[in-house]
Amino acid sequence: MSDAVLDALRETNFSTFDWAIVIGYLLVSLVIGILVRHLATDMTNYIGAGRSLGSWLGIATMTGTELGLVTVMYSAQKGFKFGFAAFHIAVLAGVVTFFVGLTGFIVAPLRRLEVLTIPEFYERRFDRRTRVLGGFLLAFGGILNMGLFLKVGSMFVVGVTGLPPDGLALPIVMTVLLVLVLVYTVLGGMISVVITDYLQFVLLSLGMVLTTALAIRYVGWHEIFVTVRERMGTAGFDPLQQEGGFGPAYVTWMGILGLVGCAVWPTAVARALAMKNTTELRKQYMWSSLSFLIRFLIPYFWGICALTFIANQADLEGLFFTPAPDTETLEIRIEEGNASEMPGGSESAASQSDPPPAAAPSTEPPLQDLYAMPLFLGRILPAGLLGLISAAMIAAFMSTHDSYLLCWSSVITQDVVAPLRKEPLTAEQRIRLTRWLIVAIGIFVWAWGLFYEGSDDIWDYMAITGAIYFVGAIVVLVGGLYWKRASRRGAFAALLTGCSAILSLEPIRARLAALVAPLTQLSVDELRQAVFSSDRMNLASLLLTVIVFISVSLLFPDEPDASVVGESKGAQA
Amino acid sequence: MTSWWETIWAGLLIVALAAFTVMAILVTIGGAYDLVRMLKELRDRPR
Repeated sequence: MSDAVLDALRETNFSTFDWAIVIGYLLVSLVIGILVRHLATDMTNYIGAGRSLGSWLGIATMTGTELGLVTVMYSAQKGFKFGFAAFHIAVLAGVVTFFVGLTGFIVAPLRRLEVLTIPEFYERRFDRRTRVLGGFLLAFGGILNMGLFLKVGSMFVVGVTGLPPDGLALPIVMTVLLVLVLVYTVLGGMISVVITDYLQFVLLSLGMVLTTALAIRYVGWHEIFVTVRERMGTAGFDPLQQEGGFGPAYVTWMGILGLVGCAVWPTAVARALAMKNTTELRKQYMWSSLSFLIRFLIPYFWGICALTFIANQADLEGLFFTPAPDTETLEIRIEEGNASEMPGGSESAASQSDPPPAAAPSTEPPLQDLYAMPLFLGRILPAGLLGLISAAMIAAFMSTHDSYLLCWSSVITQDVVAPLRKEPLTAEQRIRLTRWLIVAIGIFVWAWGLFYEGSDDIWDYMAITGAIYFVGAIVVLVGGLYWKRASRRGAFAALLTGCSAILSLEPIRARLAALVAPLTQLSVDELRQAVFSSDRMNLASLLLTVIVFISVSLLFPDEPDASVVGESKGAQA
Repeated sequence: MTSWWETIWAGLLIVALAAFTVMAILVTIGGAYDLVRMLKELRDRPR
């Protein structure tokens, strides 16, 4: 990294007072874990907080979990690159969550069955084999999914505090944060998770409202819209325009992801299953729909504000954006598949007729756009408030980590190890195993974050690794709960078919396009954008899973005396 | 010229921020009450 880049990152308002606020908050989290340790006496208390959450606390903890720092970071990146058009993802997430709250779709019958995890439902509705496979895929996809959380969260800390991003600072921040999360999660389980989630909610909601108001005041309400209009044209506002990087197929896929995020994703479902009853649960979902909207909307807006700020700072614009190339260079870049690195644009945005204005010439590669939002906050927020926001963001980071660690480790214990053992595990053995697994997953995430050299687009990485689990799970859950002819073999086959979502990974899509291109009139790039886009591939994978589930269930029905639970048979359990 | 989309997104942002502020106040107060009750309940449960 050049001196100019390092100087730009070092220039922040973060002071000793801010460090004191951050460290104070971290210590409070640690003390909570130690204090509530004696309450985690059995597995229901340890992973379900004794099923005693009231609806207000449920809303706070669900928001705390789902509004992670990684969400804030990748959402800000989306807003920075795609402008207001990204807002549609937030709207869909909010609307779908409200619908789930209103109807109790998926989550209410699951809560009535009093299962602790989704694979446990698989066993009660289908069989043990389905539970073990479901648990394995869930843990595999989920652990991979959180693989970059630690690194991205630490990038925020480095960016906002002005620590040097290319030295030892990043691994040190990663290690310290991980150790703190591990200590209080291992000790207190869901009880300490709920308490820290509540603290995070209070800090974060205050911080988000204040920061948004300050950001608008600093860059100017009108200027924000003008900058997006000038840089991205109408595609910066209209999500249905293919040129903006989205389009109808993408919007459809985001609607499905909205449902997955609130009703199928295990960390969200874990909150539903910890609620006192289904009335409280539905209330929790209806209120949380606002949090599901806000958790994307505000970070997108911060990303757009960062874009406006950087576009108007000569020293910063050159660091984040490469100069606008001439037509010939542009064609070469598209051929090389690098168009997504274009300023303010996606793959297809690069082909817009009005390319963004030229930035200051630079021989450096553009700075990772993930740094844009923390750098922006580091420059506009005053000392004190910056510490509060950083503590809130670190709280967001920790509360997501603790819930995810607890969720995947308990799934491995409850749904993979326990069902495979001949001798049943005692409560103590289960808690001990879960604690060891939390530590093991933590070490994996630390190593993965340090050594994985992946694409910059975190959202794509997360959507695809998550899809390995949820494409099969959404079909099996909905089918198992609402279709009485759903069979064990159908469920097993659907879970396996759902793994086809892994074909949406960029390198695999590129190979498929190259393989098919000679058979068509289209070029490899045209195929990648028009046919093998990740949204279309994921939709195709979901459709295939539905077809397999229905066909196999009809061809191989269960024996008439098979014990069945769920809405489809009147929820006998 | 301001497009329909610009008006929609600007309106949504203002309404969502206002609604979130109200919700945050309610959840902060209600959550504190729930939290105390939950801890008491867990403490009093037979081991």
